[in-house]
Amino acid sequence: MAASEFPCSLVVDVPLLDHRLASTAMRALQVDAELSPLVRRTFSLVGREDSAGDEEENSTILRTEYSATTNRMLRVAVNGFMESLGVVLQVMEELDVDVLESKS
Amino acid sequence: MPIAIGLEGSANKLGVGVILHSPPPTSSPASPPSPHDSAHSDDESAFAQSKSNPPPVQILANLRHTFVSPPGTGFLPKDTAAHHRRWIVRLVKQAMKQARVQVEDIDCVCYTKGPGMGAPLGSVAIAARMLNQLWDKPLIGVNHCVGHIEMGRTITGAENPVVLYVSGGNTQVIAYSAQRYRIFGEALDIAVGNCLDRFARVLNISNDPAPGYNIEQLAKNGKVLLELPYAVKGMDVSFSGILARVEELAHRLEKEGSSWTDPATGAPISKEDLCFTLQETVFAMLVEITERAMAHVGANQVLIVGGVGCNERLQQMMGMMASERNGSVYATDERFCIDNGIMIAHAGLLAWEMGFHTKLEDSTFTQRFRTDEVLIDWRD
Repeated sequence: MAASEFPCSLVVDVPLLDHRLASTAMRALQVDAELSPLVRRTFSLVGREDSAGDEEENSTILRTEYSATTNRMLRVAVNGFMESLGVVLQVMEELDVDVLESKS
Repeated sequence: MPIAIGLEGSANKLGVGVILHSPPPTSSPASPPSPHDSAHSDDESAFAQSKSNPPPVQILANLRHTFVSPPGTGFLPKDTAAHHRRWIVRLVKQAMKQARVQVEDIDCVCYTKGPGMGAPLGSVAIAARMLNQLWDKPLIGVNHCVGHIEMGRTITGAENPVVLYVSGGNTQVIAYSAQRYRIFGEALDIAVGNCLDRFARVLNISNDPAPGYNIEQLAKNGKVLLELPYAVKGMDVSFSGILARVEELAHRLEKEGSSWTDPATGAPISKEDLCFTLQETVFAMLVEITERAMAHVGANQVLIVGGVGCNERLQQMMGMMASERNGSVYATDERFCIDNGIMIAHAGLLAWEMGFHTKLEDSTFTQRFRTDEVLIDWRD
């Protein structure tokens, strides 16, 4: 994938509380393929800069890298991602097992 | 006692349901235990539950919120998806509270895989995937049409009917054979509910609670049957030409007002007459193709499911045809015929009980998902 074909790019880093939540978010979002062939997307989990120790457990940041042929395509794709991310975060915040247990 | 939560969002209705499947009783539930039972052999007290009878169910929660667009408009995917995103968490919480279930009581998370509108389906699928992971419960992707059919069968107790599935997005005549719901006839272009909904827009009829409901109420006061094309094509039907013609009539009504009169009575044509004309025409077409399927398979029971199935005139017309064939019509009320989450939970739980589940990486959604693509292995 030549960078010149997809010159418009954006990286979105979403810091989450722990590796479990970051991994859950990634797995939920990566199921759906990008609709347009003019957009490329990659997900990864990265650690915080100041963290040390176990690499996997420190990967609490969901990194989404978008690249597209035009800025318009990039904007459309990233807007869609933000909408889905909203659902992911809201479910985490209000329906996770510990949240429900504390409310019952 | 398996319990499932179901999330439905293929059109403008967002539904969340929680259902419980009771195991079949081992003795007749009506008679109290008698001293005889313990002395006699199993075959007297055993309750024969053939695979064709749906299990008894308990509706623990059936919540729905509808996205209603202003009169003269329809619901667009982007806005509908936004509505579903706004409401999904709230509905799930409320449903669990009403059902009085905790996460550990739930056996699986069911969601509508398709068919339907892309973005709305996607919003709900993402929520389902999150619950599947956070709660560590199996995920079940459900076919929306199969959900309607299974809910209709269970609620009405119909044994093996020809099914007329009619809604804003789907129009199919279905009969069960060899573990598949097979499509005998369908709309070739647009669904009957889509025809009704789009006609409502031209007359600025309110979409609250649903355009079809308001057309039905207006039609009750309509008397004049105007001429519309009647487009039955063998086992199938076509509505786009009828829609074009009835929209022309609506524009004529708007232009001519009370100067357009019924030649027979001299009374001015009203929008009630247009609603009446459209319903009588399209419903007669549906009755015809349903009857054709009944003749083919030798059935005399009809089960009507889907949002348009709430229409009492359609039920009445179907009833007239069925009784001529010494049969009967089964229909459910708006809790179940309009899109809902409980039907997704129910069909999903039936599949889960047979060992089915959807892997996370396969938990996609799709606008097109044929009814006969699903293996109905809970029936023989």
